[in-house]
Amino acid sequence: MIPLTSKVCVVGDFAVGKTSVIERFVTNQFSEKYLSTVGVKIDTKEIDFPERGVAHKLVIWDVAGSDKFGATEFAYLRGASGYMYVADGTRPATLIAVEQLHRQITDKFGPVPSVLLVNKRDLVADWEVSDSRFDKLASKFPRAYRTSAKTGDDVDRAFTRIAELVIDDELRGA
Amino acid sequence: MAMNDLDQLKELLFGAEKEALDSITERMDRRDVRTVDVADVLPEAIYQSHRKNDELVEALKEPVGECLQRAFRDDPQTYGDVLYPVMGPAIRKSIMHALRTFAQQINEAVEHSVSPKGLKWRWQASRAGVPFGEFLLQKTLRYRVEQAYLISRENGLLMGHVHHAASKIKDSDAVSAMFTAIQDFVKESFSPDRTGRLESADMGDFTLWAVHGPHALLVCVIRGVPPKSLRADLSAILERIHFRYGEAIREYKGDTSTVPEVEAELERCLRFQARGEPVEKRPGPSIFVIVVLLLIVAAISFVVFRNWQYSRQLQELAVALESTPGLHVTDLSRDGGRFAIRGLRDPLAASVADVAASVDVPADRLTVSTQPFQSLQPEIIAARAAQAFGQSSSVRYRVSGTTLVVDGDAPWSWQRELKSRFSSLAGVSALDVSGLTASDRQQFAERIAGMSERKFFFSRGVEFLPESDSALRAYAAEITVLQRQAADLDYSLSVSIEGSADASGDSAANAALSYRRAQEAATILASVGVAATLLHQAEEAFAEAQPIADVSQRYVEISLQLQSMSDQP
Repeated sequence: MIPLTSKVCVVGDFAVGKTSVIERFVTNQFSEKYLSTVGVKIDTKEIDFPERGVAHKLVIWDVAGSDKFGATEFAYLRGASGYMYVADGTRPATLIAVEQLHRQITDKFGPVPSVLLVNKRDLVADWEVSDSRFDKLASKFPRAYRTSAKTGDDVDRAFTRIAELVIDDELRGA
Repeated sequence: MAMNDLDQLKELLFGAEKEALDSITERMDRRDVRTVDVADVLPEAIYQSHRKNDELVEALKEPVGECLQRAFRDDPQTYGDVLYPVMGPAIRKSIMHALRTFAQQINEAVEHSVSPKGLKWRWQASRAGVPFGEFLLQKTLRYRVEQAYLISRENGLLMGHVHHAASKIKDSDAVSAMFTAIQDFVKESFSPDRTGRLESADMGDFTLWAVHGPHALLVCVIRGVPPKSLRADLSAILERIHFRYGEAIREYKGDTSTVPEVEAELERCLRFQARGEPVEKRPGPSIFVIVVLLLIVAAISFVVFRNWQYSRQLQELAVALESTPGLHVTDLSRDGGRFAIRGLRDPLAASVADVAASVDVPADRLTVSTQPFQSLQPEIIAARAAQAFGQSSSVRYRVSGTTLVVDGDAPWSWQRELKSRFSSLAGVSALDVSGLTASDRQQFAERIAGMSERKFFFSRGVEFLPESDSALRAYAAEITVLQRQAADLDYSLSVSIEGSADASGDSAANAALSYRRAQEAATILASVGVAATLLHQAEEAFAEAQPIADVSQRYVEISLQLQSMSDQP
């Protein structure tokens, strides 16, 4: 299998669960405790795609939560092969933040493979994103998921999907 | 005419062409026109030729080089002025680099010049005949490049990573990304124009150096203190990598196959290592080694201690043997804990084993070989005397010079034996018995004193009272025994008899009676072989007395006298 390493940035508003989603994916654990990420945090995980003949190592940049990026954040995003936009299903404003970030990033770096995660699916009672609102935002992304870092729902699928999109993009580029 | 006709015909036939031909001819003939023509196409011609192949470059190489040489030689000022903006920064940069390296060396020299280590090195340097500065550099610039990361500047992805076998490696992809993030953070936070960059970081024993290329970052983890010149070496490696991989680095997207063998290039970084002492701290000796060393030290200490103990015992034994009467050591040697003793020993002397035991040397560590001899040491002579004359608690022998001194109390007969035989003892020429008493002889004298002055009574005339007669006879028998005993004790026992009578009657008759009574007693004593001296009673004794008949005055008194036959009383 061909080894491939890619930089994937996880972005989104404060406290939407970016770090938790990554922790669920990388270590299959979840912590109720909220720790605000300062600057950037980096994890790696390898996913094998035997049908594509690729061993794909994701270098995941967990960028501190923000609804609008400044120069420092953009410096962190430079050269990313894929983006994961994360919003919070219990806070509709975070979807607006995702739209804003998506626009900023696309303006600066052009189209880059990305997926949307509307997180905290386990908090059914507090869920405030209607299907139509979700679909409207999802239409801007190749794939969108309602995820839960707490239960793990669709987290692996979302990461696997972005890994595939990145591979396809790389192969097309080559 | 014909020529003119021909010319006219030509004019008619080729009028326009001729004009062109003339024009061409004129241009070919005129140098100034030709020059303008060539100048017109020259740039395009050069451009075309250069694109086609290298011939133009080859053709121009020599003349252009020569031109430049001549121009520089003829007008150096102009070209110096032209090159100044280029040369200035380059020279400044080079000088700065040299000065920084020099400053670092100075700092280290100052730091080490007065420390104990510095003084030691100074001494070592003078011994080795090396200038101190040079020696200092060898000693202080101890470093080793432990790890090298080649990181894409674009996306922070790791293109290659090499490290020494012993280095501890974390997830190098994460390290690479994190370093890039920190790099971005520093640049955004502290560099106003965002041109600054993180070039080094210190962490305990390690120094992190980042060398920046156009598309890649070479990050080296260095243990120890690297010289500034190392940065130039690392830059050269990074330049080489850029040269070799060019586009692949710029476009790197995480596929390592696009930068084949990049790690072989990076390996060159790991070759940088200072000579001299090893950089890594030597691990402390293991517990096992410590235990073994302690055991060895303990064993050596024990052996040394035992050896010292044996030597001390040898000395003590020598002193003890030397001071033992009757022993003469001719050879004393030690083999480990065993002692070999050769010499002479009087049979009366203490045994070697006993002497050794007195200084805590057991007999099983002795090899004794002695020959018997007769010692004339006083103690041994005294012992020999005791052996000859018998030992008793009441008698003590000692030898002073050649005189045998005997103290205490012993029977007279034994003393007589001693006096007759002492001279047979070797080494003895005189006998001193002034401190020796004979209690048996004294008791005998006292006994005689007690038995003397016995009175035996008469009835009338020279007739004993019956009980006195038998008592006198028993007394006489006893005297014969005493006389024999006295002879044994070198006494002479003599007997004297004095008769007595009461005062009634004639004094002369009384004196005569007294004498006859003494004769009577002497006869009885003589009958058992005891000689006696008879003493006369003076007549006056009776005359002065009261003339009364007194039975108690009718007696004989027998006295015993001892006379010593020896020089002792």
